[in-house]
Parts: sequence; C-alpha cells; structure tokens
Amino acid sequence: MKTKKIAGNILFFAGLILLWQFLYTAACDWFLWAKPYAIPNPTGVIRCFLLLLSDGTLPAAVFGSLLRVVTGFFISILIGILLGICIVNSGCLARNLKPLILGVQTLPSICWVPFAILWFGLSESAIIFVVVMGSAFGIALAIESCIQNIPPIYIKAAKTMGVDSYQLYRYVIFPAALPAFIGGLKQGWSFAWRALMSGEVMSASMGLGYTLMIGRDLADINQVMTVMLVIIFIGILIDKGIFTTVEHRILKKRGLV
Amino acid sequence: MYLTLNAIHKFFQDTQKETLKDISLTVERGEFICIVGPSGCGKSTLLNLVAGLDTPTSGTITLEGTPVTGPGPDRVVMFQEAALYPWLSVIENVMFGLKAAGLPKDSQREIAETYLKMVQLWHYRDYPIHQISGGMRQRTALARALALDSKLLLMDEPFSALDKQTIHILRAELEEIWEKHKKTILYVTHSVEEAVYFADRIVVMAENPGRIKEIVPVAFPRPRNIEDAAFVALRREILSKVQLSAREIAADEFDKEEETLL
Ligand SMILES: Nc1ncnc2c1ncn2[C@@H]1O[C@H](COP(=O)(O)OP(=O)(O)OP(=O)(O)O)[C@@H](O)[C@H]1O
Ligand SMILES: [Mg+2]
Repeated sequence: MKTKKIAGNILFFAGLILLWQFLYTAACDWFLWAKPYAIPNPTGVIRCFLLLLSDGTLPAAVFGSLLRVVTGFFISILIGILLGICIVNSGCLARNLKPLILGVQTLPSICWVPFAILWFGLSESAIIFVVVMGSAFGIALAIESCIQNIPPIYIKAAKTMGVDSYQLYRYVIFPAALPAFIGGLKQGWSFAWRALMSGEVMSASMGLGYTLMIGRDLADINQVMTVMLVIIFIGILIDKGIFTTVEHRILKKRGLV
Repeated sequence: MYLTLNAIHKFFQDTQKETLKDISLTVERGEFICIVGPSGCGKSTLLNLVAGLDTPTSGTITLEGTPVTGPGPDRVVMFQEAALYPWLSVIENVMFGLKAAGLPKDSQREIAETYLKMVQLWHYRDYPIHQISGGMRQRTALARALALDSKLLLMDEPFSALDKQTIHILRAELEEIWEKHKKTILYVTHSVEEAVYFADRIVVMAENPGRIKEIVPVAFPRPRNIEDAAFVALRREILSKVQLSAREIAADEFDKEEETLL
C-alpha cells in the first residue's frame, strides 16, 4: 500500500520533469520562442545543484538560512505566546490590539526590510527582525484563538478542583490548546520561512536567498531555479516532517484521529 | 446547618431573565438532597451558584459558616459530560485535584488507587480517556470528585447521558459509597425515580421564575427498591407535581399567545 503510494509519487514527479524537459526543448530548440538563458532546464538544474553541493555553497547556505529562521521563529513563538495571552486576558487589548495585529498580519514581510536595514544595518539581526515581524503576529493570533476555543467545561471543572491561575494555565489551558497551537505554529513556520527569503534576498551576504540573488546577478537561471527548488523542499520537509508528524501524534494520543 | 442558601435571586443581564427567585434552603451534614424540576427552571444555575462558578444577584450562600465567593475544592462539581482531560490517563485525571492541592506524588497515587478501586476502574487506570466507555468515564469523574474529599459534592445530572442498565449499576455504586462515607450531596436530576431512590429530601422546583415549590422528605429504608409500591406511589406523586408546574407554564404561554392573536 505504502510502497504503491510512493511509487505513484515518483512516477508523477518523473513525468513532470520529462514534461519540463520537453517544453524546454520545444521552446528553445524547435520553435525558438525563448532564449535558452531565460528558461531553466532539468539537466542544467541538476548540474547546477551538484556543482553548488560539491563546492560547499549550498550546504553553507542551507545551514545559514536554517540557523536564522530557527532563531527568528523561537523569538516569534515567545512574543506570540505572550501577546496572545495578553489579548485573551484583556478585553481592551482584544478590542483594540487584535484588529491592529490582524491588519499588520496582512502586510507582506518585505515591507519590514527598510526598517530592518535602518535599525540593524546589513546584519544577521536585520534578517531575524524581518522573520520575527513576519511570523510573531500570526502566532499570537493562533494562541488567542486556540485558547478561546477550549471547552469552558475544562476550565470550570479545574476551578472547582481548586487550581490557582498558574496551575490553570500549566495543567489545563496549555495542554488543551496544544493540538490547535501546533497547527498555528505550522502556519507561523511557513510565514517565517517566507519572511526569511524576503530578508535574505534584500540584505544577506550568505544563505539561500542570497545564493538565489547571485544566480540572478550571474544571469544563471538554472541556479535561481535550483535554489527555489531547495527552498520549496526544505519548507515541505519541515512542515510535513516536524509539524504534521507532531500534530498527528498528539491527536492520535487523544483519540481525535 | 451545614450549607445555607439565604434568599438567593439570580437575574441574567444578557437575557433579562429572572431565573431564580427567593431560593432558601438549609442542608445538614451528610444529607443527600435531590433537586428536580422542569427543564429550564434553573437547576444548573442554582448548582453553579453553590459551586461559586457564578454569583447570585442577591442573597448569600454559606458553607460551614463561611460565605461562598468563588469556586473551590471544598465544593467539587460532577458535570453531565464527564469533563475529563483527554491528555491525561484515567488515574492522572483522578489525581488532578490532588496534584493541584500540592500533595506528594505517593499519596496522590494512594488516594487515586482507593477511589479507582471503589468505582471498579483500577484495572483501567492507565487507559487514555478515549479508550473507555461513557459509563466508565462517569465513574472516573466520580472517582475524581470523591478523591478530593470535599465538604460538598455537587452533581448535575451526572448519569443522564448513559443507558438504563449502566445507570442502575452506577446508582447502586453511588448509593453504597454515600452510605459508607456520608458525604453531603446536592444532586440535580430530571429523573424523579432517581430522586426518590437517592434523596433524604427532594427539592421540587417550578419555573418562570425558578423557585422552590415544595420540599418532600423521603424516609424509605435503604437500599431502596424502585419497584416497591410505596416507592412507585411517591414517584407518581412527585412526577405529577413537576409535570403540573410544566403544564401550568405551557398553559400560561398558550394563553398569552391567544391573547396576542386576538
Ligand atoms: N449564562 C446565562 N445567561 C443567560 N441566561 C442563562 C444563562 N444560563 C442559564 N440561563 C437561563 O436560565 C434558565 C435556567 O437554565 P438552567 O440551565 O439553570 O436550567 P436547568 O433547570 O438546568 O434545565 P435543564 O433541566 O434543561 O438542564 C434558562 O431559561 C436559561 O435561558
Ligand atoms: Mg441543567
């Protein structure tokens, strides 16, 4: 069953790559619709991937980018949790701050780049700042909504069993909110990953976004494409490999799937 | 006088509804009080007030002379839905209140063991909540409530979501536990049979506004037999009182509708 599914996946992507190669050949060699340097092709991308891998550019870029995004993401989680809890506990903040955060949340994270550069210069902190701005607010909203959605009876029952407010958070609210919170983190992660690329494209001197821009400067469309694919692959890997797995395990433990 | 309700009124601002009117009741230590009444007469509201989950608009509630100001472990509630925590196992659920009280781990486990054995769930102690049946969940909730050894046990239709057979078994268990421990219990039910089975006194409520219609003492020896002639007669009598008030309401509303039609 599982091998059949994987075989299907492989077949699908092999077909996709074949189609890509076919379209490239058709467009550039047969009909001369496009210039070869403007269209990436599978063999070029694979050659470029192997080159970037063997000269160490790609591993260093991946490592640098991951380090930044993880740092930024953890800061976002801390800020998000604090902000979310404040909103839950204050009607005033819920009425005024929440709509503001919702608005800021729609702002593409690239808009924070000018601030980042003015405040932090062309440094690591600037990119981490963009990542935090891109994901912290989403996490705050996720925290707020998953606390609001806890069945009130859990909290009532705990109160009649004599918990204080610290125990209420630690033993009831956090565990009850956990599955939805992991879902929120998953979304926060994708925001953070995207924000990282905005930051790196604008101001980095190392990392995946920077490697992509080098590809542009060298007019090497295959390098641009290679980096894009690596970005997609890492995004999926962390989404599926970490968040979806953890989420599924928690839901399963509680009998919710 | 152990528990005293003194002229309780409850008015809900949201719905502009006078839900409880002038409820006064005194309960002795070790008494089993059942509250019956038509749906919507404010039974759950009353229980919530005693639990401290809500505050009365006027009137006072005192337990052993101390006024009730908020929820606390001296007045544990057992809800209609078991309200167990799905991230904890059966025994961890039972230990929840004991952990909150700061008891050492050993005594938490010891107490949980006693009560889980009492409700015959010791064998299932490590099961996650979603892997036990509805009846077992209510028994777990009962063990959790009993484990805190509260002054007062508040129960809001704890068995109403279960099948008849399970209800009979759990009733017998609760009755036995109560006889052994002489806990003071306030028990809300819509089953008059259950009320006559358990109660030392039955509080019959009427609605709109929710008020005490009558308090009926029940003096039958325990354990009671629900097929006993005297039992059946008393059940009928109380049922007619509850239904009467429900019918009065229905008639009342019907009349009003007619008036508006004319
Ligand atoms: N939080 C609330 N806000 C406004 N009105 C409420 C609230 N809680 C209960 N009520 C009203 O109070 C009345 C009594 O409700 P309650 O739940 O106490 O009834 P009950 O006797 O427990 O009924 P049932 O037997 O169906 O459980 C209802 O008419 C309901 O509309
Ligand atoms: Mg009710």
